[in-house]
Amino acid sequence: MPNRKSFAIPPVVLLGLLLTALALLIMFMKVQKLHMPLLPGEESELWTVEARIDFTGRRGPARVNFRLPEETEGFARLDENFVSRSFGLSQSDAAGYREATWTRRRVEGDQALFYRVQVYPGPEAFASVSNSDEVPVFPEVPDYPEPLASAIADVLETARSESADIFSFANHLIATLNNTEDENVKVIRDARPSAEWEQLLTEILAGARIPSRVIYGVSLREDFLEQPLITWIEVNNGQRWRGFDPQTGAIGYPDRFYPWIRGQADVIESDTVRNLDVNFSVSKVSVAQEALAQRVESRLLTGLMNFTLYSLPIPTQEVYKVLLLVPLGALVVAFMRVVVGLPTFGTFTPILIALAFRETELGWGLLLFVLILFSGWLVRIALANLHLLLVPRLACMLVVVIGLMVIMSLLSERLGFTQGLSIALFPMVILTMTIERMSIVWEEHGAGQTIKETIGTMLVAIAGYYVMNHPMLVHLLFNFPELLLVILTLCLAFGSYSGYRLSEILRFRDLVKGDK
Amino acid sequence: MLGTWLRLRKKGVVGLNGRNHEYVMRYNKRKSYPLVDDKLRTKKLALEAGIAVPKLYGVVSTQHDLTKLDEILGKHHQFVIKPAHGSGGEGVLVIDGVRRELFVKTDGRALSLEDIKYHASNILSGIYSLGGIPDQAMIEYRVCTDTTLAPVSYRGVPDIRVLVFKGVPAMAMIRLPTRDSDGKANLHQGAVGVGINMTTGITTNGVWQNHVVTEHPDFGVPLAGLQIPAWEKMLELGALCYDLTNLGYMGVDIVLDQNLGPLILEINARPGLAIQIANQSGLQGRLDKVEALGEIPASAKERAQLALTLFTNS
Repeated sequence: MPNRKSFAIPPVVLLGLLLTALALLIMFMKVQKLHMPLLPGEESELWTVEARIDFTGRRGPARVNFRLPEETEGFARLDENFVSRSFGLSQSDAAGYREATWTRRRVEGDQALFYRVQVYPGPEAFASVSNSDEVPVFPEVPDYPEPLASAIADVLETARSESADIFSFANHLIATLNNTEDENVKVIRDARPSAEWEQLLTEILAGARIPSRVIYGVSLREDFLEQPLITWIEVNNGQRWRGFDPQTGAIGYPDRFYPWIRGQADVIESDTVRNLDVNFSVSKVSVAQEALAQRVESRLLTGLMNFTLYSLPIPTQEVYKVLLLVPLGALVVAFMRVVVGLPTFGTFTPILIALAFRETELGWGLLLFVLILFSGWLVRIALANLHLLLVPRLACMLVVVIGLMVIMSLLSERLGFTQGLSIALFPMVILTMTIERMSIVWEEHGAGQTIKETIGTMLVAIAGYYVMNHPMLVHLLFNFPELLLVILTLCLAFGSYSGYRLSEILRFRDLVKGDK
Repeated sequence: MLGTWLRLRKKGVVGLNGRNHEYVMRYNKRKSYPLVDDKLRTKKLALEAGIAVPKLYGVVSTQHDLTKLDEILGKHHQFVIKPAHGSGGEGVLVIDGVRRELFVKTDGRALSLEDIKYHASNILSGIYSLGGIPDQAMIEYRVCTDTTLAPVSYRGVPDIRVLVFKGVPAMAMIRLPTRDSDGKANLHQGAVGVGINMTTGITTNGVWQNHVVTEHPDFGVPLAGLQIPAWEKMLELGALCYDLTNLGYMGVDIVLDQNLGPLILEINARPGLAIQIANQSGLQGRLDKVEALGEIPASAKERAQLALTLFTNS
């Protein structure tokens, strides 16, 4: 083969250079134009709040009204968008608040609509949720029916005697109303369904001529996923508003509270569809400080931003945060195979195990992995005597593996090791196949080879765990998915590597023992 | 470590990556693989070309066929059951005789017909096949070891692996079963590989578990100095297989039967590299010599003759 010895650039090197150059170019553009941060931690807080509206059509015209977030001092709304699918969308603030209306002539089956808003909380945003100076009118005392009226009067009287000012009064009142032992409270709580509890609280406060209102909002935290709005109470003392927990009476707002709407109202409303439901998810967006400043200024999205993963729905983003790590794991496997030469059970089994380690923490993951592998293997030996056909035998092993997982979870719960619960995160089909491979290797090649491959699998999984958990790599891949091209290049490089594996240096060392 | 690396380079030792990259992928056409991966096809191909192979007694293709297994086994007291798509000697079961309705393995352990059926059933399920695809079980003639080789074989049949590059036999070794290898002649199962001088057909030293050995681990007899019978004929058989499969880089496994002479057992499209340790020599130099040849003779006989003289110094 003459071309092997010639000095022309092999096509694979050319391709690799091209891919890397392309990836670095896109990355450079993104850093330059969008100021996307190269390092984790450089970003400032920008939050995406996503509302997902689900409903089922009634095979007829449908109209869904959705209250959009109100203006709140300290928070900047940077960008809003709607996923309306085939619905018509209109926005109005005719009723004194902002509202989006989706309409369609004929709606059938399950539907999902999305509303997404980017929120930038200013430095003082959470300290002053409702900071307006306007003093609300003092409410009229409502007319309660008996026996509610006397029960409320009793409760108000008790609270008044125990408090010094309006806020401590509200605090005592709400706390009392949540003490279900009290006879008066029982009467009051039975008067309305529990969903209207906050509304009832405002009416009772009105009985003391204290202005109060219901407020709905979300927590700007990454664990706020697929939840309805938080319902809260605000009380005014004639000078300012303060938040109260409607369940305990504690003064203050939920952690990192972003108010959506104020006053008793449904955030979503429609009488033409069934199963109407709305859930909110929150996620953090990394934006460089200076880029954020520009965007807060202009409140405009650049065109390029639409090509980042941040433009996807939040649950999908979460999926990609994990999926983008898989190529890294594959790279580790390729390296371990071709350059180091470690034997493993199955080619990509170690990555899946490493992904499970991310959830269980490394030490516990390893312990659980070995435990389940070992006990599964004992069962497999017992099954070998029954002469079962392969696929039903694998099915049996799958049942046994899941059973073992349940037992270990229960045991660890009993013994107080909550980490043992995370065993459920292991890919059980992979475990089953690993046990099967392990027992076959054991029978055919003996203990030595089995231990070798088990250790090989664990080493690759551990290496994969460290690479896939590296904050820098995780950050880079999510912000610059074009780096996949670089991983591709590295895979090409490993694919073309024709040198020795490290394990072969050991294997062939006898060949050159006497050589100099 | 680096020193060993450089010495290996200097000696022309080919590693797995190098083998795959420079030889297997370059010289072996993918479409030829099924010819050698399926031992039934290899056997048929060899028979058509007039090459001797162990006689096929029968094939079990479905679980239902298993009911007919005793019919196939019939009067045969010695036979081998193996997967048609197996690799590395996995799933090969050798039966040496029948005693009181029981089948006796080479190591003396007795198996019932049910055990044999279970083994065949596992083969059908694809446990031993590449990629786990459903497979067929072949039942064939159990080779009777040639008397010259019997003293160095522990309860099994030794085979001669000839590495054939572009049709020219380039390196060879004989693989001797040991107690560790359960009568099988596969190195990673514990058999001893012994290098063979290409010019003379006389054995040199051996490799066992990747280490150089000079004596048979079970018998203690020296491994070097053994003359392989019908050496030229074996090289010619190896060269002939190139015409059958068109695989530029392959390993041909030949067994020597006491009565039938050399038989082709199987062909491997990804032959292992331990042959280098057995021969205390790197492959690179020999393969380069073949690549440097202007023209390679068309006839297998001439290529075998070429092999006798080409590698005298390496």
